[in-house]
Amino acid sequence: MKKLVLVLGLLAAAVLLMAPGATLYYETGGGRRCASCHEMQPVYDLWSSSSHRGVSCGKCHGDAFTLDASFHRNNAARAYSHLRHELPEQIRFSHQYVQAMTGPCQNCHRQEFASWQAGPHSATYARIFLDKKHNTGNMLMDDCLRCHGAYFERGIAGLVAPVDRAGPWRIVPQGVANMPSMPCLTCHQMHREGPQLHKAGVEGRVAGPSQEIARPSLAFFDRRTQQYVPIQDLPMPALLDGPRPLKMSADRRQALCYQCHAPAAAMQVGSGDDRTGMGVHEGISCLACHAQHGQQTRASCANCHPKMSNCGLDVEKMDTTFQSAGSKHNIHWVKCGDCHTRGVPRKKEKTV
Amino acid sequence: MRRRTFVAAGISAVAAGTSISCGGNQAGWRFFTAEEARAVDAICEQIIPAGPHPGAHDARVVNYIDIQLTRHFRKHQETYRRGIAGVEAAGRKKFGRRFVELSPEQQVEILSDAEEKSKAFFELILAHTRQGFYGDPRHGGNHNMVSWKMLGLPSPPIRGRERSVWPGFFCPA
Repeated sequence: MKKLVLVLGLLAAAVLLMAPGATLYYETGGGRRCASCHEMQPVYDLWSSSSHRGVSCGKCHGDAFTLDASFHRNNAARAYSHLRHELPEQIRFSHQYVQAMTGPCQNCHRQEFASWQAGPHSATYARIFLDKKHNTGNMLMDDCLRCHGAYFERGIAGLVAPVDRAGPWRIVPQGVANMPSMPCLTCHQMHREGPQLHKAGVEGRVAGPSQEIARPSLAFFDRRTQQYVPIQDLPMPALLDGPRPLKMSADRRQALCYQCHAPAAAMQVGSGDDRTGMGVHEGISCLACHAQHGQQTRASCANCHPKMSNCGLDVEKMDTTFQSAGSKHNIHWVKCGDCHTRGVPRKKEKTV
Repeated sequence: MRRRTFVAAGISAVAAGTSISCGGNQAGWRFFTAEEARAVDAICEQIIPAGPHPGAHDARVVNYIDIQLTRHFRKHQETYRRGIAGVEAAGRKKFGRRFVELSPEQQVEILSDAEEKSKAFFELILAHTRQGFYGDPRHGGNHNMVSWKMLGLPSPPIRGRERSVWPGFFCPA
C-alpha cells in the first residue's frame, strides 16, 4: 500500500512538474529549442531576424516561472496536439492571447503604451459596437472586424447581439466588452524582419538624417488572410477630388492608416472612412499632424502656423475644428474659400 | 512528500518535458523529410518557374503542400512518397544524380516522363502547385502574396464604405 501511494505521488508530482520542466528546457535554448517542434520553425526564423531578436521568447510569451496556470495548461495542450500530429495550419494567437500581449508590450514601451491608452485607438469593443448613433444608422457587419477586432475568431454575430438597427445591443462574449478593439498587434508585427533596435537617442527624435521614421514592426494584420502585411507592401490609394487627382504625401506609413480610414470604391477624397487632407492641408501626411499612438493633433499646428499661414490669421481663433469641434470647417477639408466667402483675394488665389 | 521523492519527480518531469522535443530531425517540415522537401520544391519550381516574376520556390509552395499533407491532403501522403521516390529513381537511372542536382533541362525531361508514367502523382502535384502559388497565404503558400502582387491585386484591398451616420465626425457634402 505504501509503495502504491509512493508511486502515485511520484506520478502526480511528475505530471505537475512536467509543464514547468518542459518550459525550463525550452527557455534555456535561447529560442532554438522552441523550434524543435517543426511547426514552430517559421515562427522562430521570423523572430531570429526581427528587431525583437534580443528579447527572449519567455519575456513576452511566459516562462517556467509564469504563475498563470492557463499558460502551462496551454503549453501542455500544445505538446499533446503535437504528439498526436494534430497541428494547426498556422501557429497564431487567439484573441484572448493578443489581448494579454499588450502587457509585455507595456513593460518595455511604457510611454507609447500610455499614449495609445489615452488615444482613440485604444477604444474598447463596447465603445465601438454599442454606439447607438452609429448602430441605428449603419448596419453592423463582419467587415467591421477588419479593423475593430482583427483577431476576434468569430463573426459579428458572435460579438454583438442583436445584429440589427433596433437594438438594444450587447457584447456577447463575457469579459470582452472592455477590451481594446485595436490592440498593439493590429498594427505591429513583433517578429517582423528588421535591424535590432536600441533605445533612440535625441538624434532619432528630431528631424535629420538619423531621425527614425518608421519602426520595422509596422504592419497591418489582415484578418482575411491571417497574415501581416508590412507597410511597404500595403497599397496606397490614388485619391480624387472630383475628376482631379489629389496631391498625396509620399509617407508610406499612411498605407497603414488607409487600411481602416479608407475611401469608397470610387476613390473620392472624404468618401467612406477617408480623412485625407485637402484644401489648405492637401499633400500633408496623416502623421504630420496625428501623433502616432495618442493621435493628439492640436500641438502639431504650431509646427507650421502661423509661420506658414497665408492669411496672417491666428489659426487657433479661426472657425475650424481647432477652435470648435462643431465647426463646419473641418481641419481635414478646410479651404481658403470656406472663410473667404466673397472670394479669395487675388494674390492668394494660388493657394486655393 | 520526502525530499528524495520530490527530486525524483522533478527529474522525471524534466525528462518528460525534454522528450516532447523531437530533436528537429525533419528540419522544420511536418511530413516531408528534408530531402523530399528539396525534391518537391524543385519539381514545383519547374511547374511555375521564376522569371521576371517569382516562381513556386519564392511562393514557398512546398510549405503549402507539406502543411496540407498533414491536414486535408492526408489521403495523398502515400502518392507523394511514391511519386517523389519515383522521380528520384528516374533521375539516378537516367543521369546518375539526384533530381535537385540535375540541370533544368534534365529536370524537365524527368518530369515529362513522370507526366506519362506517374500520371496520378504528376496531376496531383500540378494541382497543388497551382493552389499553393495562387491561393490564400493563410494556407502556407503564396508567401508574401507574391502571385497576387504579380497579378496586380492590391492586398489587402483599400475598401471603405459609405455610411449614413458617422458619430462625432463631420463629413463633407
